[in-house]
Amino acid sequence: MTTVGQQLIVAAIPALPALVFLVLALFGRLLKENAQYVAILGVTVSLVFSAFSLYYVASNGGTPIEFSVPWIDLGVGGTFSMGIYIDGLAAVMLVVVCFVSLMIQLYSGAFMEGDSRFAWYYAVLNLFTASMLGLVVAPNFIELYVFWELVGLCSYLLVGHWYEKPSARDAAQKAFIVTRVGDAALFVGIIIFWRATGTTAFGEISTAAQSGFIGGSALTAALVLVFIGAVGKSAQFPLHVWLPDAMEGPTPVSALIHAATMVAAGVYLVARTYDIFVQSETAMLTVAYVGGFTALMAATMALVKKDIKRVIAYSTVSQLGYMMLGLGIGQYTAGFFHLYNHAFFKALLFLCAGSIIYAMNSYSLPEMGGLRRRMPITFWAMVLAGVSLSGIFPFAGFWSKDAIVASAYEEHYYVLFGMALLTVFLTAFYIFRAIFIAFTGEPRSEAAREAVESPGIMTGPMLLLAFLSIVSGWVGIPEGFGIPIRDYFAEFVVPSEFVNETLALEPHAFSFVLGGISVATGLAGIGLAYFLYVAQPQRAGQLARRLSPLHTFLDKGWYFDALYGAVFVNGAKALARLTRGFDRRALGGLVGGVGRGAMGTGGFLQRFQTGGVQNYALFILFSVLVIGLLVGAVAGAQWTLLVVALIAVSTIAAFAVGARL
Amino acid sequence: MPPIVQQIIDALTATPPLAGYLVVGAIMFAIGTWGALIRRNAVVVFMCVELMINAVNLTLVAFGDFLPGEDGLGASYAVLVIAIAAAEIAVGLAIVLAVFRSRRTVNIDEVNSMRG
Repeated sequence: MTTVGQQLIVAAIPALPALVFLVLALFGRLLKENAQYVAILGVTVSLVFSAFSLYYVASNGGTPIEFSVPWIDLGVGGTFSMGIYIDGLAAVMLVVVCFVSLMIQLYSGAFMEGDSRFAWYYAVLNLFTASMLGLVVAPNFIELYVFWELVGLCSYLLVGHWYEKPSARDAAQKAFIVTRVGDAALFVGIIIFWRATGTTAFGEISTAAQSGFIGGSALTAALVLVFIGAVGKSAQFPLHVWLPDAMEGPTPVSALIHAATMVAAGVYLVARTYDIFVQSETAMLTVAYVGGFTALMAATMALVKKDIKRVIAYSTVSQLGYMMLGLGIGQYTAGFFHLYNHAFFKALLFLCAGSIIYAMNSYSLPEMGGLRRRMPITFWAMVLAGVSLSGIFPFAGFWSKDAIVASAYEEHYYVLFGMALLTVFLTAFYIFRAIFIAFTGEPRSEAAREAVESPGIMTGPMLLLAFLSIVSGWVGIPEGFGIPIRDYFAEFVVPSEFVNETLALEPHAFSFVLGGISVATGLAGIGLAYFLYVAQPQRAGQLARRLSPLHTFLDKGWYFDALYGAVFVNGAKALARLTRGFDRRALGGLVGGVGRGAMGTGGFLQRFQTGGVQNYALFILFSVLVIGLLVGAVAGAQWTLLVVALIAVSTIAAFAVGARL
Repeated sequence: MPPIVQQIIDALTATPPLAGYLVVGAIMFAIGTWGALIRRNAVVVFMCVELMINAVNLTLVAFGDFLPGEDGLGASYAVLVIAIAAAEIAVGLAIVLAVFRSRRTVNIDEVNSMRG
C-alpha cells in the first residue's frame, strides 16, 4: 500500500510536464528562449519521480502501484475512474519516456534556436510528454483514450509546427486524420468491452472475459478493433502512411514521436491489454502477421529513400512491426524489450540526422557525403545507433531483436521467421546505406563541404544516447548466454500468471545458432551496403537503373499514397461534391425559392402601390363594400345589407355617369 | 282644389318616409365618392369628401329621428362628425397648401412621390 505522499509523487510524473505546458502556454511570450529551462526542470523532476516509481515497484517484487479516484459517476450506469497503475511495464516505460524527452529537450534548445515559436514548441513538447506519461499510467480504457487523443493532438501540433510550409500543414493533417481512423476503431472496441463487461479497467475486463462475459467472435472483434487503434498510432500496415510524412516536423520532434511518445503508444496498448489479447488466438495471430508484414514492407521502402529522415522513419515503422510481431507470438517481454531498446537508438538516429540537418540545412542524402571528417561525433554516434539497429552482437538492439527472431522460429512460425530474418538483412543494409552515403566519399555539395560539428548541447545528449544504444540491452541478457549477469528485464517486465498459463509457452534456452544466423544476416546487410556504396559506388546506380520499375515502386512506398489518394481521398472528395450539389440545388433551391417567392409577391403587390391617393381610396371603397357584404350576409342584418347594396348600386351608377361626362 | 293638387300638397307636407332620407343620403355619398375618386383637383376632392361626410350625417339624423328610443343619439353623433370634419378639413387644406407651395400644383395625379 502506498502512502499519500508516494501517491502524490507518482501523480506528479504526468502532472509536472502538464503544468509546464500551462506555464509556457501562458507566459511563453515573456520567457522566450528561457522556456527551455522551465521545461527541462519539469521533465528532470518527472524523470527522478519515474525512477523512484521504478525503484519502488522493483523493490516490492513487482507489486504494482495502484490507486484511483472516481471521475464520472453514472449511478446505475457505472462509474469511470481516473487512476494510476504502475507495474514493471509501466515503470520502465515511464523512465524511457522521461529520459528520451529530457534528451530531446536538451537537444532542442540549440536545434530550435531562433525559432519564432520557441516557447510554444517547448510547451507542446511538454504536453506531448505529459500525455504519453498519462497514457502509460492509465489503468482503464477511458483514461487511456483521453491521453491517447491528447497524444494525437500534440503530434498534429508538432508535425505542423512550421505551418508556414504547405507540406508541413498537409503532413500534420494527414497524421491526424489517418490516426483518427484507428482511434475510431479503438473507441468502438472500448464500447464493445464496456457493453459486454460493464467496466473499462484492463484487469477487470480480463477477469470478466475469463468468466465468459465476453468471448468468441465478440472478444476477437473487440480486440481487433483495439489493435486497429494501435495500428493507427504505431503506423502499422495499412495505416502506416502518415509516419513518413510526419518528417515535416522539426527533427527533435520526429525523434520524440518515433522513440518514446507517439508510436510507442500502440505497442504499449497491446502490451497493456495483453491479458485480454491472449484470450483470442485470432487476435494474437492478427497482431503477429500484421507486425511481421509491416516490418518487411517498411524495410523495403526504406531501401531507396533519398531523404535521410524518411529512411529512419520507415525504419521505425519496420521496427514497430518487430515489436508487434514479438507480442503477437506471445513474447511479451521480448516485444517490450525491443521497444525499450529501440527508444534509445532510434532517438539517437534522429538526433544524428538532426545534427546533419542543423549543419547542412538539407535532408537530401545525395547532397551529403564526406561528412565523417567534418562531423566525427555525429558519425560515430550514428554508426553505433546503426549497428544497434542492425542487431549486431553485443549492442542493445541484438538482445531484443534476436529474442523476437529466435522465438518466431522456436514457436514454429516459420513464415514470420523468414520475414523477420529478411528484415534483419534489409534493416542493416538500408541504415548503412544512409550512413555510407552521408558520411563517406567526397562531399557532393557546398553545404557538405562547409558542414561543422553541432554544439555541445546537441552532441551531449547524442553521446549519452549512444552509450545507452550499446548498453541498454545488457539488462536483459538471457540466462542461457553464459554470462553471470541476471536477466533483470525478464524478471521485472513479466507477463501475468494468467498469460503464462494461457499461452503455455515452453521456455527455450538461448540459441547460439539462431543468434549467429541473425548476426550474420545483419553483417551481410552491412557488407552489401559497404560494397555498393563505398567500395564500388557506381554499382549502386547501375543496379537502380537496371531495376528501375522496382526502384520506383519502392520509392513510391508501394504506391500506398496513390492508392489511398485514389480510393479514400478522391472518394471523400466525390462525396463532398455530392453533398455540395445537394446543398446547392436542393437546400439552396428551397431557401432561394422562398426568397424568390417573397420577391415575386412583393413585385406583384408593388404595382398596386401607385402613390396616387385616389387609387388607395378606390381600394378602401371596395374593401369596405366587400366587408359590408360579408358582415351583412353573415349577421343577417337587413339594414346593413340594404345600405351597402344601395351604396354599391349608386356608386356603380355614379361611375357610369362620371365615365360619360 | 282638384284632388290631384290635394294629393301633391299632401305628399309634400307629409313626413317623408325613412327610405327617402336613406336614398338621398346614398345618392349624396355616391356622388361624393365618385368625385373623390375621379376629380384631379385636390380642393374639389376635399369638397367631395365633405359631401360623403354629410351624406353619412344625413343618414345618422334620419335614423335618429325614425328609430324609437334612441334619444337623440344619432343627432349628437352628427354634431360630433361635423366637428371632426371641420378639424380634418383644416389639416387637409393645410397639407394641400403645403403641397401647392412646394410643387406649384394641386393636381393629385402629379403628387405620387409615394409610388412603390
